[in-house]
Amino acid sequence: MTWVIHILNGIAFGMLLFLLAAGLSLIYGLMKILNLTHGSFYLVGGYIGLTVMQRTGSFVLALVVAVAAVALVGAAIERFFLRRFHLDELPQTLLTFGFLFIFADLSLWIWGGNPLMLNMPEIFQHSMPMGYYAYPVYRLFLIAIGLVVAGGLWWFQEHTRIGTMLRAGVDDAEIARALGINVSLLFTLIFAVGAGLAALAGVLAGPVLSLYPGADFEVLIFAFVVVIVGGLGSLRGALAGALLIGILDDFGKAFFPEFALFTVFVPMAVILVIRPTGLFGRR
Amino acid sequence: MTTKKMALITIVTASFAAMIVAAPRPAWAADPIKIGILLPLSGNFAENGQQTLTGLKMYFDEVGNKAGDRPLTLIVEDTQGKPDVAVTKARKLVQGDGVAVLTGVVTSGEAIAVNAFSRDNKVPLVLSGDAGADELTMPGPLANPYLVRTSQNGRSVASAAADWAYHKGWRKVATVGSDYAGGVDVNFAFAQAFCKLGGKVIQAEWPPIGTADFGPYLTNLDRTADAVVTFEPGADGLRLARQYSEFGLKGKLPVMDIYGGLVFESNLPQLGDATLGFYSSLFYTPMLKTPENERFVAEFQKRMNQLPANEGPNGYVGAHAVVDAIKAVNGDLSDTMKFIAALKAVKFDSPKGEISLDKYGQVIQTMYIREVQMVNGQPANVPIASYPHVDQFWPYTEAEFESFKYTYKDSKNSLTDCARLLAKK
Repeated sequence: MTWVIHILNGIAFGMLLFLLAAGLSLIYGLMKILNLTHGSFYLVGGYIGLTVMQRTGSFVLALVVAVAAVALVGAAIERFFLRRFHLDELPQTLLTFGFLFIFADLSLWIWGGNPLMLNMPEIFQHSMPMGYYAYPVYRLFLIAIGLVVAGGLWWFQEHTRIGTMLRAGVDDAEIARALGINVSLLFTLIFAVGAGLAALAGVLAGPVLSLYPGADFEVLIFAFVVVIVGGLGSLRGALAGALLIGILDDFGKAFFPEFALFTVFVPMAVILVIRPTGLFGRR
Repeated sequence: MTTKKMALITIVTASFAAMIVAAPRPAWAADPIKIGILLPLSGNFAENGQQTLTGLKMYFDEVGNKAGDRPLTLIVEDTQGKPDVAVTKARKLVQGDGVAVLTGVVTSGEAIAVNAFSRDNKVPLVLSGDAGADELTMPGPLANPYLVRTSQNGRSVASAAADWAYHKGWRKVATVGSDYAGGVDVNFAFAQAFCKLGGKVIQAEWPPIGTADFGPYLTNLDRTADAVVTFEPGADGLRLARQYSEFGLKGKLPVMDIYGGLVFESNLPQLGDATLGFYSSLFYTPMLKTPENERFVAEFQKRMNQLPANEGPNGYVGAHAVVDAIKAVNGDLSDTMKFIAALKAVKFDSPKGEISLDKYGQVIQTMYIREVQMVNGQPANVPIASYPHVDQFWPYTEAEFESFKYTYKDSKNSLTDCARLLAKK
């Protein structure tokens, strides 16, 4: 029975990692920007969700408001700042690094430094008995929502016009532009979607991982590990990488506790040696 | 104006100026004494810094920023929680601003760095922040004659937890301890004291700092234990508290939370009834019904709009000690060792209980065992037992403490081995 719980647990954690990494991967795939503000989008999204939840008591509203607000912020950052260094990746990455600090200080100022925990909706507030053990229902919900988002993103990429444009842009931005695809608009849109996904992860993780100064940096590292393992720019890679890391992390901590500090990094190092481009990455 | 007159004025002015510079300055009563406060006010420890600062300021305000008839000037510097920044700011305070005393300091890393600065520059350092590394106030390489600590240390809180756990009837416990020097220190102190009484740690889990998901640790917990003993500060504590009840362990395995990281005052309202019945040990709880504490809590809530946890009272007590010591030497801080002796001699009632210091400058105070109970519909850390006058070597004498063969540094992987923990040199 403990095995079942460990696996479920790894998958649930993996799904959180997927939500977190998907946006980062999308943005890198299209724009070649390593978005260091990604963790801040997660944290600010979580905090906004927390405030909405406290004011209205609605988890759904918290999700919607947080995702919309952070997506807007993301779009604004792309439009008014990153755009100025079009296709100049190093200044763009540095710019996102600066935003990381600005958001960190802003959130410390607004939400304070004590760790805060989002309340989960009433229906998820119990655990499912499993023999001698018990498993929290909320984590099963996380697994479900992760699958829904993964399916949604796949459909978006494969079966919508914007998805087609996105794939064209990833493959060859210049040719895509020559074919009349408005790559600039696409950039803003994808940056907003990526930011929104991070915010979604923030709100969903809030009841499990809690929100606090420094969480932005911690989750950023997790997200990087996942996209490196999965392959930068690939959604499929982000999903595979996230599940792999989630499960390995759980088993590592459970069965090799003395390596708990780097259960996440050992698989990354191994993958980098065997497949430098990641599981599903292309050159 | 004639040249002669000019020359005269020049000479008079110059000699007057020379007099001011050369003459030994008497400690005029009106001269303010400058106190340098080193606290992290930005970064991850900003909240700890802010709460300590509030406590410090509360006491200084209470005495009208005066010690006897000497006015006090506070100069606050932000250390960002980084040892190197803390030392730079300490140097600025001492050599630039001319402060007579340094106080504050939240992390042990900063404390060890500033401790060295204090020793090298012979500047009194009153640790009034969290910094709890045991060795700072023990004979050994870190010993510093210019240091006193009025806040806390790691092992006393853990020893009280062990004593209470044993007398509660628990004989075998599992520990979940944050995997860093401070965490090992605290868990070692617990295991050693528990072994000495006749108990045993049957499983020791060490989640790293920043563990997002305690799922694997909770699933692996040995269900045959009488109780789980935890030490998880910060966000880790909040997460573990929530996940503990999520994994259905609440009510099955009782919890003794050393330092109250799970049941931290700002966590409680967020956790609802998830921690109801959790035991914890600390040198303070806002629920203490003493006049000193009730007055303190009311004022703290007015200033911070939240209940104090450990930092606020620590800052307040630190300021109290500094003011009392300045009064004891009549505001004359020129003899540093005399001032340090006055600091070590302070004794007063505080929100934490009775405060005094030992010969090494470490605080002797009361340890409380608390239980989370509903008070007026809100979960709160209600005191259920107390250990007065706990010194840093308790439950051993200093000689007995020094006779143990192993310290926490060589014991992380042997918490379950009582024979080793109790081995003598």
